[in-house]
Amino acid sequence: METSNHPPRLALRFVKWICPAHLYEGIEGDLLEAFDADVVALGERKARWQLRRRALGFFRPGIILRNRFTLSFMSMIMVRNYFTVATRNISRRKAYSFINAFGLSTGIAFCLLIYLFINDERSFDQFHENKDRLFRMKANVYRGHREGESKSPYFEMAHMSLGLAPALKSEVPGVQYATHFCQSRALLKHDDKIFNEAIAYVDADFFSMFSFPLQEGNAAKLFSTPDEVVLTPALARKYFGREDVLGQTLLVGTKPFTVMGIVQEPPANSSLQFGVLLPMQSWGAYNPYNLEHWINQGFPTFVQLQANANAQAFRASIEKITEKYLGDEMVKWREQEKLSADVPVYEMGFTKITDIHLEKAIAWDNVSDAQYSWILSGVALLILCIACINYISLALTSSAKRRMEVGIRKSMGAFQKQLVYQFGVESILLAFLSMIIGLAMVVLALPAFNSFTGKAVHLGARDLAMFIAVALGFALLVGLVAGSYPAFYLSRFKPAQVLKGQFTSRLTAGFSRPLVVMQFVLSSFLIISSVIMYRQMEFITTKDLGYNQHQVVIIPTQAGWDENSARVVDNFRARALQHPSVSMVSATDNPFAGFEYMIFGYAVKGENKAIYGYTIDPYYLQMLNIPVVQGRGFSPDMPADTVNTIVVNEALVRDMKWKDPIGQYLNFHASDPTSKGAQVIGVVKDFHFLSLEETIKPMFFSIDKNNGRADKILVKVAPQDMDLTLDQLQKDFAAVAPDKPFEYSFLDENVAKQYAAYARWMNIMGFSTAFAILISCLGLFGLAGINALNRTKEIGIRKVMGADMKTIFILLNRQYVWLALLAFVIAVPLSTYAMNRWLNNFQFHITLQWPLFVGSMAIGLLVALAAVSYHALKAARINPADTLKYE
Amino acid sequence: MGKEYLGEFEELVLTMVGILQEEAYGNAIVNEIKERMGRESNLSAVHVTLYRLEDKGLIKSKMGGATNARGGRRKRIFTITNAGVAMLRAMKDARMDLWKLVPQLKFIGGR
Repeated sequence: METSNHPPRLALRFVKWICPAHLYEGIEGDLLEAFDADVVALGERKARWQLRRRALGFFRPGIILRNRFTLSFMSMIMVRNYFTVATRNISRRKAYSFINAFGLSTGIAFCLLIYLFINDERSFDQFHENKDRLFRMKANVYRGHREGESKSPYFEMAHMSLGLAPALKSEVPGVQYATHFCQSRALLKHDDKIFNEAIAYVDADFFSMFSFPLQEGNAAKLFSTPDEVVLTPALARKYFGREDVLGQTLLVGTKPFTVMGIVQEPPANSSLQFGVLLPMQSWGAYNPYNLEHWINQGFPTFVQLQANANAQAFRASIEKITEKYLGDEMVKWREQEKLSADVPVYEMGFTKITDIHLEKAIAWDNVSDAQYSWILSGVALLILCIACINYISLALTSSAKRRMEVGIRKSMGAFQKQLVYQFGVESILLAFLSMIIGLAMVVLALPAFNSFTGKAVHLGARDLAMFIAVALGFALLVGLVAGSYPAFYLSRFKPAQVLKGQFTSRLTAGFSRPLVVMQFVLSSFLIISSVIMYRQMEFITTKDLGYNQHQVVIIPTQAGWDENSARVVDNFRARALQHPSVSMVSATDNPFAGFEYMIFGYAVKGENKAIYGYTIDPYYLQMLNIPVVQGRGFSPDMPADTVNTIVVNEALVRDMKWKDPIGQYLNFHASDPTSKGAQVIGVVKDFHFLSLEETIKPMFFSIDKNNGRADKILVKVAPQDMDLTLDQLQKDFAAVAPDKPFEYSFLDENVAKQYAAYARWMNIMGFSTAFAILISCLGLFGLAGINALNRTKEIGIRKVMGADMKTIFILLNRQYVWLALLAFVIAVPLSTYAMNRWLNNFQFHITLQWPLFVGSMAIGLLVALAAVSYHALKAARINPADTLKYE
Repeated sequence: MGKEYLGEFEELVLTMVGILQEEAYGNAIVNEIKERMGRESNLSAVHVTLYRLEDKGLIKSKMGGATNARGGRRKRIFTITNAGVAMLRAMKDARMDLWKLVPQLKFIGGR
């Protein structure tokens, strides 16, 4: 049958393009034969679609890879020649080639780093075998609503009722395992080794749920008795000097525990971090009272559902559990808050374990904000894009000079195709070089990057292989595009004209102008943001907090919540004050910043209030220079101060609307509503005892041991010879508390540490800014090059007419200043919006004022001018005779 | 012979080449598979498999004569080699040996 129908030509051409030549005839024949049969069976229109579908089917490795990339003898020689010429060209203009490759390298390097970062963020908790069935319980709790407050009246937390885990396991059908995971600190002791360790209290199910492999011990039997302990190998070595320590005894506090297992260290990308695991039942807080009173919450709880469990059914079950155990409390709660019965005050929910890391609403170790990852990947992609296009425009400038070469090649008989190859090979070679430089940069920068971001990212073999593959493809693509444009462009000219010098065409790079604006918007945005972040961090680290946090050493007595701590403090004071470098010794229960705090909830005239309470000693206010504005501070000479007296801050006076605060009574013990409470003897000026993310809340000081135990020693020391002083303090401490570890921190460092997360993001932003500036400068450099090249003759004529260097310099640079200004105008509102959102994290922050913006703009403009000046100066200094002699 | 492994589809195509003798080319095999097995297969998949079998030396190919059909394109005719026949036989024997080891299977009603 003669093919009288019309098969789709494009599809056949496609097949011809991808198929090896020797196979093509058979394949095309089969396609046409099937097509003819389809025309009969289905009609022509459908048959055409069938053919297209079949044709696309041949786009598969089994066909494409059969193409033998054999090169004929002639082209072999030519390819070698391309390489020779390419390497010659690259090495002849080393600086230029380097700059060109460097831009792409930085783009690739930056992208790889961000990729690793985001990969690490997303890898959190992925290593659990049962990760799809593991959940952390959470609660959405009504916090109360104040008049005029815009914050949501709810907050989320993962601290649950103690009784929840056992109730879930015994009462909810879909729950396979349940465990607590309660972090705390305790003193561990073996022989003479005593350290304060971070520990986690868990239930026996813990070992069946999570994929923390046991090195020693039997997972099924662990924690069947409450006197077992499981250690990580590092801790086993720390206490015992070896890892095979099963059956050994370790003192936790004063109670002996037997080591029954060694569990591998949790990886850095685990949301559950621990060194010591102890059975939940061994903890003081695990008592019948807490088990019964569900309103006492503070026990993170994890569950594992059955393989076939239904999340919907589970949600319904926990609603029932909430109603059963917390129903009465919720009724009371609503009454107190004057809420109607349909307003939820406590709702339980759950989070998949792999989502914990990015659930930033819930306080947890190591939790992170997904928003930052998105911003970073956006910036990375943008930077890579810009880097590529810069590479192309730079390649354009450099190749434009070679039209003579192209002319000669053409007159020697080169085909256009060969010219395209030639430029292609050259730019691909350079792109490969930049890829290698980029990878090397990543390897070199990784340690610095890790310390910036506080991560432990490493370049795995798999990541590397994948990235090399992607980068290879990328280099090939960029190289081809970068090479083909000049190749096509330059090879189009008539050689005779070029060689005779009658060639006056302008190199058009229309796409590069908006591009430069775009990259300048990005750079300006990052510059402004970095400057603002830097100023804010400077502001909070240098702001006067209202007390003197410097030169104060904090030493926990670790003596327990009783009289012992007071004794240790007194004995220590007696010894330490003998050193000339120690001017004062004081004590408190919770030093500010980084330690815990105590909040007392109470009600005044039916209104719920909360107050921060600190137990101190009589020397405290004087030592931290907290000014007393009314009444007096505590005095060591007045024993009456130790009972029911408080010193409050101005915020409390305002909150209570006291006209004359001295002598007023405040009862902050909700459990004892009939008592008159404590008497105010003094008022201190407001100071920032919380981080600057918070406003100054009502607070009080007392030296009444019923409110708390001042068990952390504060020592005011002289700034000189800190090492010696610390040495002396350690000796003193060892003398008064021989069985306790000496740990210390500095108050000012703790204060600064509160902002570590912000400081980290500031670093990352700074890092991105440096990259963006670098790359956009390269872009400008390229554009300026094109421009200077195009106007060579114009400049020559101007010089002949008597224009001086300055005029030409201004002529060439004026437009870039305008571009930069335009970009800046676009970037200002963007960064103002973003930075205002960021600054809202802080109750105390700098205001965005024009000097900030003008300063950033000056930086950006200077950098831009530096980048374009090279070409401008070069063009301005050229001897006009050189450029005009052909005319 | 070196125990080369054949996939299920490869074995099917190889068998078809054996069945079709001098008329074994891509399209004919697609049609034959549909006719005998009631199974749809992709032309491209069949082609790729044929080339792979050819690489393994189980079949060989030559171009057929020109015809008026197929827009004048020649067919690539595949024929099974001795190695291919041996492979098919070896696979069948191996299957039979295994089959004998299965305890007397009974088909019980229901599914």
